[in-house]
Amino acid sequence: MISVKNLHKTFNNLSGPVEVLKGIDIEIDQGEKVVVIGPSGSGKSTFLRCLNLLEQPTSGEIWFDGQQINKPGVDIDKVRSHMGMVFQHFNLFPHLTVRENITLAPTLLKLQTKEEADANAERLLARIGLLDKIESYPSQISGGQKQRIAIVRALAMNPKVMLFDEPTSALDPEMVGEVLEVMKELAEEGMTMVVVTHEMGFAREVGTRVVFVDEGVIKEENTPAEFFDHPRNPRLQDFLSKVL
Amino acid sequence: MRRAGSAVLRMFTEKESCFMWEYLSQHIYDDFILKDRYMYLVKGLGNTLLITFGALLIGVILGILIALVRISYNGGNKGPVMKVLNAFCGLYLTVIRGTPMVVQLMIMYFAIWKSGRPVPVAIVSFGINSGAYVAEVIRSGIQSVDRGQTEAGRSLGLSAKDTMIRIILPQAFKNVAPAIFNEFIALLKETSVAGYVGIQDLTKGGDIIRSQTYDAFPPLIAVALIYLVMVIGLTSLLGVIERRMAKSDLR
Repeated sequence: MISVKNLHKTFNNLSGPVEVLKGIDIEIDQGEKVVVIGPSGSGKSTFLRCLNLLEQPTSGEIWFDGQQINKPGVDIDKVRSHMGMVFQHFNLFPHLTVRENITLAPTLLKLQTKEEADANAERLLARIGLLDKIESYPSQISGGQKQRIAIVRALAMNPKVMLFDEPTSALDPEMVGEVLEVMKELAEEGMTMVVVTHEMGFAREVGTRVVFVDEGVIKEENTPAEFFDHPRNPRLQDFLSKVL
Repeated sequence: MRRAGSAVLRMFTEKESCFMWEYLSQHIYDDFILKDRYMYLVKGLGNTLLITFGALLIGVILGILIALVRISYNGGNKGPVMKVLNAFCGLYLTVIRGTPMVVQLMIMYFAIWKSGRPVPVAIVSFGINSGAYVAEVIRSGIQSVDRGQTEAGRSLGLSAKDTMIRIILPQAFKNVAPAIFNEFIALLKETSVAGYVGIQDLTKGGDIIRSQTYDAFPPLIAVALIYLVMVIGLTSLLGVIERRMAKSDLR
């Protein structure tokens, strides 16, 4: 479903070029839940953001659904409408109600009528138990609620894959559980997911494959059991000994 | 002795206040009622409002366009067309903000648009001037919106244009509403130089009355009061709008 070939990304900072991704290759199949972990600054978020071209790769190829998306002439807006993304800082639209946050994109892109989008929003909110917040503004709800609604907002587009960029890192500890619960349910329904996270428990329980990114390359990837119980790469062993 | 003194004083004050009232009513009558002179202020106010709102419209549209060009260029959109546009916008901002409004108005009326009717020329001229200030205010407003908002919009499949119109600009306007209203109020008062190109605006209206009656105080105070009332009105309108926009901030 997603295929990444020799992905490089260099940022041009004031202090000169910084190569963040140094050749990443990965194949992600339909229904997989790939969890990406790694130390901060390893490039894991940049990698995720390259998948829907929020970052433009310096070189390499990104394929999605049988077409290369990082070449001229591709309708990137159309591609992105099939890839949901959830951000660390939620990025709900503060000037819109929860309902408007969820229905804006589907109606504006004419994928759903106003009535369909409303019904869809209500159904999704009911599922996560936040239907009573539908007319609230983002400033009126908690961080955990915001992130669950951000997930719903992405789901309202009926995406083929969901990308999560450290979805629980900005949350109070007591709110992490409710967000992970929604993600777990999503995984059980068969959604293809790519999750950058520090939640090792989630990686082990929900992931079908865990990927360790360090210094801009994939140092190790394996099933969760093998990955956590028998890490082979010394850098990964060191990393796991610190976080587990 | 004492009592007599105060009686004299009282008499004097009474006489004086009577005199004051006579003086004022006579002058007010001469300045405003006689020969329907108040019509100078009414017509002047009409022109002032016409120029202000016309210029406002041009200024806001121009300001948004210029802010978008500059934001887009600084955001990495550096094609040849954008380069020319951006350079033009930079020149425009420098020239307009670097020269006095009244000089711009006179250049526009006497040098560029020689046979134009004065009011439309003034509307365009004030609009162009206002656009430069509005552009910078709106640019700062757009930059004040978190980058994550753009990313969220784009990641949902919205185009850059839709993201700007539906997500960024509403938040940007809200953030800079006080500054934009300041600009509106400044514009309203700035139109008082329209008399330089022969327009009978509110200020000129008061000045015409002064030149006919040789009486400066009442007509000019009246002009000042009318400006003041309009500014107070605009300010309270701003309060209403700001409160309405703050709806989404209430917890």
